[in-house]
Amino acid sequence: MINKQNNKLGWLFASPYIIFGLVFFLGPLLWSLYLSFTNWDLIAPEFDFVGLDNFRKAMAAPGVQSAFWVTYKFMMLFVPLVTAMSLAVAVVIQGLPKFKSVYLIGFFLPYLSSGVVASLIVQGFLSYNSPVNEFLRGTFGINIDWLGSPFSALFIVGLILAWKFTGYYALILTSGLESIDKEVYEAAAIDGVSDRQRFWKITLPLLYPALYTTLILSFGVTFGIFTEVYQLTGGGPNFATNTWQMEIFNQAFTNLQAGYASAIAIMASIVTFISIFVIRKLLESWGKRNGWV
Amino acid sequence: MKKSRVSLLLAITLVGGTVLAACGNGGGSGGQSADGVTTVEFWAAPNPPQQAFWQDMAKEYEAVNPDVKVNVSAIKESPSSEASIQAAIAGGNAPTVAENINRGFAAQLSNSKALVALDELPQFKEMVESRNMAETIAPWEFADGHQYVLPIYSNPMLIGWRTDFLKEIGYNEPPQTYSEVLEATAKLKAKYPDKYMWAKGADLADPTAWKRWFDFFLLYNAASDGNKFIEGQNLVADDKAGVEMLTFVDDLRKAGGILAQNATDPFETGAGVFTDIGPWTFDMWATKYPELKYGENFTLTLPPVPDHMDPANAKTYADAKGLVIFSGAPEASQQAAAEFLKWVYANEENDVKWFKQTNLPPARDDLNEVEGFKQILAEKPELALYAEAVSKGVPAMDNPKFNELQTLIGQEAFNKVIRGEIDPQTGWNNMKKAIEGEL
Repeated sequence: MINKQNNKLGWLFASPYIIFGLVFFLGPLLWSLYLSFTNWDLIAPEFDFVGLDNFRKAMAAPGVQSAFWVTYKFMMLFVPLVTAMSLAVAVVIQGLPKFKSVYLIGFFLPYLSSGVVASLIVQGFLSYNSPVNEFLRGTFGINIDWLGSPFSALFIVGLILAWKFTGYYALILTSGLESIDKEVYEAAAIDGVSDRQRFWKITLPLLYPALYTTLILSFGVTFGIFTEVYQLTGGGPNFATNTWQMEIFNQAFTNLQAGYASAIAIMASIVTFISIFVIRKLLESWGKRNGWV
Repeated sequence: MKKSRVSLLLAITLVGGTVLAACGNGGGSGGQSADGVTTVEFWAAPNPPQQAFWQDMAKEYEAVNPDVKVNVSAIKESPSSEASIQAAIAGGNAPTVAENINRGFAAQLSNSKALVALDELPQFKEMVESRNMAETIAPWEFADGHQYVLPIYSNPMLIGWRTDFLKEIGYNEPPQTYSEVLEATAKLKAKYPDKYMWAKGADLADPTAWKRWFDFFLLYNAASDGNKFIEGQNLVADDKAGVEMLTFVDDLRKAGGILAQNATDPFETGAGVFTDIGPWTFDMWATKYPELKYGENFTLTLPPVPDHMDPANAKTYADAKGLVIFSGAPEASQQAAAEFLKWVYANEENDVKWFKQTNLPPARDDLNEVEGFKQILAEKPELALYAEAVSKGVPAMDNPKFNELQTLIGQEAFNKVIRGEIDPQTGWNNMKKAIEGEL
């Protein structure tokens, strides 16, 4: 009797999120899945069922193929960068005698900032006639097209994202560091453990749960990159920074192909799901192999 | 940046749109409130002078037609004005009228049966006659023989030249042909290695479809003497002119004359010597770059042409926009909108007011004849050049796939030539193949 009542209460408390999820996630997902088999443009009163045509077209499209690979390129750049930066910030802040929260808030602020504004500032900073480039040309005689070459464009976007997310992940890692029992470090100090050993043998294993969280989050970020790319490069040069979200946007809101864009969105969801699943398994096996979990 | 924000936006738009469409009145013969007032929802361009003009017109019209209410608001530009209109139509919340519609987008909309064929409205003929725009509107006819857009203005894009820099390298007049431009580039680079002949920032290397209007079509229309690029579902581009034009761009690049990297106002700040200029620029310059004065340090010409052509008769791209009436709006509102537009355009003083407020040349056949226009053109000599060039402007293609097609122009040919990644002939051939595949 009590169990049944508890169940009802549980459902009641969970219902707002369940309803929200059904209305704003599951419903649109199913509708999008249906549309991916049509040629609807969102406006026309009639549309046709086109079977798998949208998926076939997407598989062969350079924009979709580039989105697939660019995501992994961003991953290889962004994940190590943001992990190293957030870990460094967390370790430094944890070692501070006071005002830890103030510093953490300072690093967290970029996460709250507008991606559009940050991108526009970077754009101005890197423009041909910015003081930075005037200085480089005047002093060293070099002219760098920061957003016009594939690698540097990718790097700049990755750097902006790392700047934005470092504080957020540092917050998670700091709480992980705070939860490590100080006595473990004291015992290690008595045993004459070096700083390097202390980090690799004590800090990292005990930080693993927090690190696992930030790694999964950062891998996830790379599948959702849009604003910075939209503002800075438009997916160029030559698709070098074209992401899934950019491709979906272009097809849905520029070319008005809602059916085709839905097919790309479904493909992006499947790729994201499989990739995150594999990454999660690899991270878990890394933890298990080292005896951290 | 939030994970899957675009996917979520797309999904919510899809579902929300459908649900709202189901809840909407779906057209029908509504549009009148219980007190007999018909409402016209008018979406103006997100440009303050244009909004102000339509708000004034609405106020004046309502004063003499109390049974009509014209609500003027700006088209939302997030994520783009086209996407806002698309979402509004899908959601059953489309306005009655929208301005700022180009031929390409109108083709997309008409293809989806979202627009009223204006030529079927009883007010259309009178409107065209009273506004004296029969010749101007003729090339706006769509492939199905209907008129879906009432052109408001037509801007033949001109090339702005920094005459102060040209004088320093020995030119009193801007170069007009490809050879002359290349010769001037060599002289410019010799004197100022850091300056460029054509500096438009990253736009030249960006495949975004609309950007091709202001570089590719500007030069292609001049090189081909206005030969159409797409007709109906066929690519009818002039191959010789296209390759000639791309070769000029390639030669200019090789001479170090093109700046295709991100730059802030390169023409205005003196990094470049020429760029495309529209008449909307002058108001911005008046506040941001007051030192730029027509006749003193800049001048305007038609685009450069191949050596064998006459520069004085060069064609150019016409940035032309117009009004459309949406088929999803209630019939009473559609009729009221047509009456409102007929009233506005029956009085040429309204077009004079428009020209004065916006600097955008009204799409009329008598721009150089009406006294009011003449007066404005005398006060602003730079605008007179646009008025003179109206007949040389070639409007955008009316293909519903214009976005995809113009993106391919950039991706396959223009952007690659700009970056020196492909030779002009191969780029042109690749572009043709890709466009023919898309068509």
